[in-house]
Amino acid sequence: MADVGYVQKDTFLHRLDARTKLVLMLAILLVVLVFTNPFYVLAILFLVLGAWALAKLPLNMVADIFKYFTGIAVIIFALQAFFYPGQTNLLRISNAIPAIGFSGYITVEGVMYGLALVLRLVVIMTVAPLLVMTTPMSDLMLALVKLKIPYRFAFILTTAMSLFPSIQNRAELIQQAQLCRGVGDFESGNFFIRLRASASILTPLILGAFRDSQILDVAMSSRAFGAPVQRTYLLESHFRRADYLFLAGCLLSLIVAIILRLAHFGVV
Amino acid sequence: MNETNPTEKIDEVKPAPVRTWQSRGRIFGIPISLIAIWAALFVAASAVPALPVPGMGGMITVNAIMTAISGVVLGPAAAVANAAGAIIATILFPFGAFFGPFSFVTSTMGGLVAGLTFANRWKLAGLAEIILLASWFVNPASWQPYMYLVPLPYSLIAVLVIFIKPLREWARHQILTQNKLWMWPALFLFASTGHAAEYLTTNSLTNWLYSLTWQYWIPTLPYWIGVDTVIIILATIVGVGVLIGLHRARLPHASDLYIQK
Repeated sequence: MADVGYVQKDTFLHRLDARTKLVLMLAILLVVLVFTNPFYVLAILFLVLGAWALAKLPLNMVADIFKYFTGIAVIIFALQAFFYPGQTNLLRISNAIPAIGFSGYITVEGVMYGLALVLRLVVIMTVAPLLVMTTPMSDLMLALVKLKIPYRFAFILTTAMSLFPSIQNRAELIQQAQLCRGVGDFESGNFFIRLRASASILTPLILGAFRDSQILDVAMSSRAFGAPVQRTYLLESHFRRADYLFLAGCLLSLIVAIILRLAHFGVV
Repeated sequence: MNETNPTEKIDEVKPAPVRTWQSRGRIFGIPISLIAIWAALFVAASAVPALPVPGMGGMITVNAIMTAISGVVLGPAAAVANAAGAIIATILFPFGAFFGPFSFVTSTMGGLVAGLTFANRWKLAGLAEIILLASWFVNPASWQPYMYLVPLPYSLIAVLVIFIKPLREWARHQILTQNKLWMWPALFLFASTGHAAEYLTTNSLTNWLYSLTWQYWIPTLPYWIGVDTVIIILATIVGVGVLIGLHRARLPHASDLYIQK
């Protein structure tokens, strides 16, 4: 499975506050859900791709996303193209087949709606990596705390993030041990066998990790975790003029999108 | 020289703030360290692809098993642990997250419903389950022919476990007392509850975001029932091993809290 991480660059998007980027991501997601006209969704996609280019991120990653979701994109498009109850016939395929709800025609509205949903999928899939690849993890966690997400939750996120590599190493060790015992075929082509093999790792992995959690608990207690004091942070983040401008832009775009939608623009 | 009465000095000292379970670093009675560890385990499980989704590049990963058992291991705190794990998994492996930034909701709801049910907070669990069912049925896409069948199989079990008190109490009792025989079906019921909530959320999100029609859902329904059954059976096997192991090693988990009550 492909993974992404922070890409260090000195661009406008990298310099924005993490909170601004979180709001930007949410605004894009909300706007893309408002419209069902492919041209409107395409405009939003171009906006996102423009942000990728602005952040000097490798655009071939977007192609990777396309590769990964080609199957579902084809299904989404085909279902709408064949079964959407449109008015304008585009192409006659066969006689009507009422049993499966097919009118015999591919309609313009169906094609448009299918395209819009596929483009929506691409926008949803490309927005999150944009945030992750332009923001260091420490800034992201700080942004969550600044946005009044409870500190405990931010602590859980950072701790889990730092513990993940050691747990993955432990999982590999357990896998080797299970292989030595002849338990499970982790490379099998049959996914049910592979799933059963994965399950044989889970029990010892969970028990071992829970034992480790007691050490972490002692460490947290000894540092007075949860003490009723005002927390301070090593890193600080401040809004700059660009952040305020960006936030205002997001809010304005959201309002315009809702007004357009209420006026029946941007729908098939 | 001013001499003060030592007893007066003692009276002046403010008492220390009352230490609640919150101040000791716990959420719903479960140590935060344990929740963080579970979240890390969830991320590790998300990195192992297991089942391909028909026609899609996306995968159902081993974390489906973890979501199904999270409720009985962590109680309602499973929702927090699963949410944290799923958020990190979305950040690290965004290509596997079919719903983008919304992806964490599915496993969160799975942990929440099963955890609340295991904690005997059936009214909240019932409310969450009803909201999930409503989110499926209020969508016009769900009014198409036969679409009511999609959430039926395991959601029916979940509804029975949540709302029928004798069944819920029996299942909880078997797990809390670690009955060697009846713990298995009891855990199957709780794993079904957690998994049903997760896949119902997944299906609802799919319908709201991508409007898949009945021509996709109904032909693939037998496949999904098979996948769900395999996941729940494996979750039961793993869950029984984990619960027995946690009990024997005297490691903290949700059952400790409810046995004390």
